[in-house]
Amino acid sequence: MASATSANLNAVRETMDVLLEISRLLNTGLDMESLSICVRLCEQGINPEALSAVIKELRKASESLKVQQQQHTKCHFK
Amino acid sequence: SSSITELLNALCDCSLAGVSWKRRSLGAVSKEIFRRTLKKRAYGALLSKLFPDATKGLIQKLSVTTNTPPRNKVLMICFDLRVAGCQEEAEMLEEKLELLLKVASSELKEVDAVLDLLVHLAGSVPTPQTSF
Repeated sequence: MASATSANLNAVRETMDVLLEISRLLNTGLDMESLSICVRLCEQGINPEALSAVIKELRKASESLKVQQQQHTKCHFK
Repeated sequence: SSSITELLNALCDCSLAGVSWKRRSLGAVSKEIFRRTLKKRAYGALLSKLFPDATKGLIQKLSVTTNTPPRNKVLMICFDLRVAGCQEEAEMLEEKLELLLKVASSELKEVDAVLDLLVHLAGSVPTPQTSF
């Protein structure tokens, strides 16, 4: 029983590793943490196209925050 | 076994990585406010894709690749890479795709959906610069 669980875990890990390599080759910008969250969301039935839109939107938002913070820091130190 | 809400929250937190909150100057956005904004935008993007406007849906034509299996979409990218002269990358991608078919765990039922996601995100970040 324990060995079956361990074999399953190894198979999942191996699949995740291959998915990460494909992800890197495709320049998706996903790291292992975000990829595993995405895999779990897909397993929950989230539409992949909708999920990709969410990721792109989050990137846009965090990029604009970084720019905003950089500008704020510059103003503060002037 | 986390819920969709928890997973989306985790995804929002991931995108906050790399943002420094320590040297926050007066008037800057707080982490909590920004986290809330991120969630709002994430749900907005998700819902707009899941429930597109009905009238738009009638006008919109289905893309040719809508019903193409994700594995074939990856193979199409391999072809494009070859055409662009990136033989090595194309071969590596094909190898990984074959390997995925071999190792795909029975625990993961939605490998095709994940591949589809990767295809949608393909090229969404710049190619890493090779160092000399």
